[in-house]
Amino acid sequence: MKRIVIADDEPHVLRVLKLSLEKEGYAVDTCANGKEALARLEQEYPDILITDIQMPKMTGEELCLHIEQHMPDRNFLIFVLTSRTEIEHREWSREIHNLLFLEKPVSIRNLVEKLNGYFAGMTDSWRIS
Amino acid sequence: MQLNQRFGLTMIIATLLVMVATVYILFDYQRDNRAELARAQGLDLVRLLGGMSWDELVPRPGRKGFLEILRQGQSNPDFAYGAVVGIDGKVATEVTRSGVIVPPGDIVDEPTNWLGQRVLTADNAERQQHFIESYAPLFEAGVHRGFVRLGYFQPEFSLSQYEMPFLATLMLPIFLLVPLFYFMLRREIRPLKHISERFENLAEQVGFNQVELQPSQALSDFMEQFGSYIEATQTRIEALNKEHDDLTMSSKLLTYKNNRVDAILQNFPDAILVIDEAGEVSYANGKIERLLGVEPQAILGKKTREWCDDPKIIPLLTLGDVKSNLQANQDTVQVRFDDHSEKSVQFNVYPLFVPNDETRILGRLVVVRDVSESHLMRQRQTEFISHISHELKTPLNVLSMYSESLLTEGADNEEYRIEAVNVIHDEVERLSTLINNLLAINQYELGGVVAQRKHVRMHEFLEDAFKNITQARGDKELEYDLDIPREMSMVYIDKDLFRIAINNLLTNAIKYSKPGGTVSLSASESEDSIEIVVSDEGYGIAESDIKQIFNKFFRSTDDNIRKQTGHGLGLSLAHQIVMMHHGDLSCTSEPGKGSQFVIRMEKVSNQIIDAAAS
Repeated sequence: MKRIVIADDEPHVLRVLKLSLEKEGYAVDTCANGKEALARLEQEYPDILITDIQMPKMTGEELCLHIEQHMPDRNFLIFVLTSRTEIEHREWSREIHNLLFLEKPVSIRNLVEKLNGYFAGMTDSWRIS
Repeated sequence: MQLNQRFGLTMIIATLLVMVATVYILFDYQRDNRAELARAQGLDLVRLLGGMSWDELVPRPGRKGFLEILRQGQSNPDFAYGAVVGIDGKVATEVTRSGVIVPPGDIVDEPTNWLGQRVLTADNAERQQHFIESYAPLFEAGVHRGFVRLGYFQPEFSLSQYEMPFLATLMLPIFLLVPLFYFMLRREIRPLKHISERFENLAEQVGFNQVELQPSQALSDFMEQFGSYIEATQTRIEALNKEHDDLTMSSKLLTYKNNRVDAILQNFPDAILVIDEAGEVSYANGKIERLLGVEPQAILGKKTREWCDDPKIIPLLTLGDVKSNLQANQDTVQVRFDDHSEKSVQFNVYPLFVPNDETRILGRLVVVRDVSESHLMRQRQTEFISHISHELKTPLNVLSMYSESLLTEGADNEEYRIEAVNVIHDEVERLSTLINNLLAINQYELGGVVAQRKHVRMHEFLEDAFKNITQARGDKELEYDLDIPREMSMVYIDKDLFRIAINNLLTNAIKYSKPGGTVSLSASESEDSIEIVVSDEGYGIAESDIKQIFNKFFRSTDDNIRKQTGHGLGLSLAHQIVMMHHGDLSCTSEPGKGSQFVIRMEKVSNQIIDAAAS
């Protein structure tokens, strides 16, 4: 079973995503902030990390940069949920590989399709233009 | 004293001076002549006497010697004495004029000096006498026996009674001629007096007619020509005066226009630089100092590289040779100064063409504008929109997910359906509140909000606001402290608006607190004012940020602050609300230790408002 870690300070988002993705057959761990998520990652790498950006204690940006710097052997994909569409707000992610942005509001169906496509090896299905 | 009297007096003095001078010159001449005569006569006589024998000159007792004959035959009134002296200096014989004593004279030893002249002085009882003495050696049988000495009075400057008639005769024509000359001169200079008056009139810019004179023919001709000359001169002066007036007027007009243009350029809100064909600054107004930090006078006539070392600015002002930028274009570039991080300067470069010839360029006009404020405002607005976007999209995201999941989960899960509906309701409320806040801000700025004031009990009002906030956000391991006196005066405020202000202050205090810190709300009352204090033990605010925290969209650059969601509206809104209530909102803070916000409301002003309302 593919394991997904979701980090978001919005409990409703965690609740819906967990429910929806578990129904699709994924094992979902939810975290309220970046710090919690990092602790989970340090225990075990998931197959996918889905994270919000603005979170208390450790932001999504800080989490991703930390992962890039301290987890060179990571093999999981990162989805970043963002409400900002401007290029300059994504500058920080330029050097981080295997990172994709998902613009809010997120469609669960769309997310599931991307995840399923990713795990099925259909990289085109999750590539964001 | 009249001019004529002065002139007459001057003539008399001059005449007397002439007479004195004449007498002096005459007597001086006479004296020189007499001295010369004494020298010549004396020398001739001693030579003659020197050729005689000692015995011939020294008479035997009872007989008159040759010297006595000489004295008696002497016609020169200056003759004083004659003497024969031995080589031992002893006088062998002498003849003198009455009252004269032969002065002692040294015996000349050198044979070459035996013949000569000298001036001797003799002191007798009455006065000192000076003599011109001639002397020659005396020989007897070829043996030098002594000297013969002849003395003459050295002529002095004196006036004898015998000379008075001569002098009187000499002075008389002078006395007679002077008045004659005086009257003739007066007659001749009378026309000149008229001329003088005309000159005075001319000097006073008063016109004059042809000079009317009746002088002598020569002077008349001269005066006629002189009058013509004066008339021509006057005409020329008038023409020159007119030209001068015209030039002065033109100069004043030009100065006025120049000053006006300069005043316009100096008061232009932007800095202006004019760069000529050679790439040198030919004009700079005063604003340049504020924007580029250089004095206008210091850069005149200099090329850009001589006064500017900013690598970003140099290319803007030295776009190659001016001639290579003939096309009419505008170049607008924004430059952010490294040393003035908050200053953004915009350069607008315009080519300056020769009038009526847009193919020839005179130089460039550079308008430098301070866009720091607008740049900062744009930046804050962008940031604000970004924050708003986040604030809007977060509930939208929840709404989207729940509504979507309802299609799958809600169909057979009643519990989930109820949960989803509640969440959707809450999020819609959240969205609504956010939108209302945005609209409120907009309305405040447009002046569309009118405070609906009522008498409010402070204790209940603040306690209620405090509890609501701390219960809703009390998940941050914070201590909460409420200290409000139970008995406080009622205040006259718009409860809803004021609640927003208090909520925003408390929300910020909680949001920017460090875990374990204390957030407190206290109030106190004095005779004429009420103070409400919201304080925290959070990250604090940098001193440089404090003056900006009430500006709309302002958010600190501090990382701890940036981590928190915010859109720079809360404090701005609170400040506006307090101001609407004629109160004052101030802040003191220490980075790392916490902040304190104080609302101060004058009770007096409340009463006035109350009275005005009633």
